[in-house]
Amino acid sequence: MLPVLPVLPVLRGLLPRGGLARGSVVTVAEFGVLALALLAAASAAGAWCGIAGIPEAGVLAAVGLGLDAERTLLVPDPGDAWPQVVASLIDGCELVLLRPPGRAPAQVRQRLEAALRRGRSVLLVAGDWPGAQVRLRVVTQGWTGLGDGYGRLRACCAEVVADGRGEAAMTRTRWLWLPDEDGGVTVADPADIPAADRPAADIPAADTIRRLRVVNAG
Amino acid sequence: MVLCCPGLCDLGAPGDLGAPGDLGAPGRLAAPGSHAAELFEQVIAAVTGFCPKVEAVEPGVCAFGARGPARYFGGETALAGQVIAAVTELGVESRVGVADGLFAALLAARGTDPARTHPARTDPARTDPARTDPARTDPARTGPGPVLVIPPGRTTEFLARQPVSVLADQDLAGLLTRLGLRTLGDLAALPAGDVVGRFGPAGEAAHRLASGLGSRPLAAAAPAEDLSVAREFDPPEPLAEPVVFAAKTLAERMHDGLAARGLICVRVQVQATRADGRESRRLWRHDGLLSAAGVAGRVRWQLDGWRVPDDGADASDGGIAVLRLVPDQVVRATGYQLALWGEAMVSERVARAAMRVQAMLGHEAVLRPVPGGGRDFGERITLVPFGEKTEPRLAADPPWPGRVMGPAPGVVYPFAREADVTDGAGAAVTVTGRCVVSAAPAWLAVDGESPRRVTGWAGPWPLSERWWDPVAARRRARFQLLTGDGWAWLAAVQDGRWLIEAGYR
Repeated sequence: MLPVLPVLPVLRGLLPRGGLARGSVVTVAEFGVLALALLAAASAAGAWCGIAGIPEAGVLAAVGLGLDAERTLLVPDPGDAWPQVVASLIDGCELVLLRPPGRAPAQVRQRLEAALRRGRSVLLVAGDWPGAQVRLRVVTQGWTGLGDGYGRLRACCAEVVADGRGEAAMTRTRWLWLPDEDGGVTVADPADIPAADRPAADIPAADTIRRLRVVNAG
Repeated sequence: MVLCCPGLCDLGAPGDLGAPGDLGAPGRLAAPGSHAAELFEQVIAAVTGFCPKVEAVEPGVCAFGARGPARYFGGETALAGQVIAAVTELGVESRVGVADGLFAALLAARGTDPARTHPARTDPARTDPARTDPARTDPARTGPGPVLVIPPGRTTEFLARQPVSVLADQDLAGLLTRLGLRTLGDLAALPAGDVVGRFGPAGEAAHRLASGLGSRPLAAAAPAEDLSVAREFDPPEPLAEPVVFAAKTLAERMHDGLAARGLICVRVQVQATRADGRESRRLWRHDGLLSAAGVAGRVRWQLDGWRVPDDGADASDGGIAVLRLVPDQVVRATGYQLALWGEAMVSERVARAAMRVQAMLGHEAVLRPVPGGGRDFGERITLVPFGEKTEPRLAADPPWPGRVMGPAPGVVYPFAREADVTDGAGAAVTVTGRCVVSAAPAWLAVDGESPRRVTGWAGPWPLSERWWDPVAARRRARFQLLTGDGWAWLAAVQDGRWLIEAGYR
């Protein structure tokens, strides 16, 4: 058994061992495409993934990133018994994405961490988890393709920062297309990110899109 | 000898839950029809009058050894005629097939002999009284009506003519057809070793069936130790639902016990005892692993059928006191539940974890996503409770004009969130029936959250769905909105209200 679960190639640089270390907890500050992207490669490589406490998880986007829907279990509403639910999921799935319904008491966290180490699984938490080995967050993001009344969302350029404890203590920053125009994840150049308050009027296909604007204005 | 009641098969089978290794015959429905179950219970009671040991093969189909009783009743055809007459009295149509071996008898009972050309025999299920007359049922294989007797020693010949599609494993059948093996005879003609080498355990089972043997070698002796599991209900449980639920865990325990000895069970006896001491025993068999969910489904069926007060007893019987599962036929585990090519199968470990969560939160709490077609990001994923057949609600094949292009959103709200969208002057943004927007959106306030400034937008993209159906018809105008915090939203105006369908983040 490999000591880490694989992640998409462009995400490797953010994680200390180039993947999700088995038996560890990794957090993503807020649920979004980044959390789904972290599931993709492990799922494609044959791991079962559980998603708990996130009824609005965009499975279609995750599938576009590489998640295998056939090996995915969803528990949208684990309720008050969520620690037991997560413990059961850890038994069956190698990777569990969880958004805890509330702040987890230290005792609950320790029990789940012990179960993780036993089962060699990875718990990916969308939210806060004191003691997580690696913490990831999106600090800046900007969508391209949408103008003032024309265009459509095409891709999102995001700055992702990772830090954590021990070997992950060094802060790492990466600019990524999350997602890119094809729904995948690729490396981005910070210069590509549109200023948040400026409509992206200078995208390549602007000419054709401007024609649509006339129709809409009528 | 196999008795098949086509009406009962169609009315409702007990939950072939499509669970791992549960290779149910095609066309079985998962809706447990309690009426059908009750009728079937009566049918089995009637058949027991002829032969004490009756095995329920699957809902609507039961099997019994014909050699002994046939001698007593004056031949297999006469026995079959009497059984059908007894069952017809209950108002149930039935057919009987007699052959060496369960599989051939089942095929004979289903009346799928492709050699028959007489049009009157294509629907042997129609049992008018004249046809059940034993005199009209020719002892030969060519006999018309609801009885088909394959003479001893000619079973192999009968099987050889059957198309491979009669095998329960449709994937394997399709593959065999593509390889040019159209009948069971073609398959049986191949050396067994080659078939096993190419198709694994599934091929071995199919080859054994085609050769007129059982689908798997049966254990020579009954298991020496008691592998049965039981659960007592104290106080007795009057409702079926908790008993069925307990059956699921009980079946898991039974499988664990068997797995520890390297065995799996192809036939299980379900014994339910009521508080007043009355008992219901039924044998259920499956050519494969009877999964925990599969066992639970059969327990439900048996209990549904048992509610019939056959001796006029009142309803206050106190409920179920003991439920016992006895593995009746066990064989060496050969990894039957593993898939041969690529398809993701639910491993025991995952299945157990999922069922444990289901036991805590309910059947619908653990879902598997199935990508399909549709115009909304939400409806393009069908959520299927774990253990049920995974099929998308809307097929992916037809074109779905009106789909939102571009990357899929990471956040898709199961129920659209209400929102207020206002223009620079603070007035609500509206869309006319001809898709004219009143003003550019300037502020977005999602469901009570503080307003966000809109920095980019596009739309409206009109979408009119199911306009021919007044109940399901829906007209929407969709927008994509970009807000100052870097987030993007998929919004729609429907009946004058703004709804947020998804978020890109």
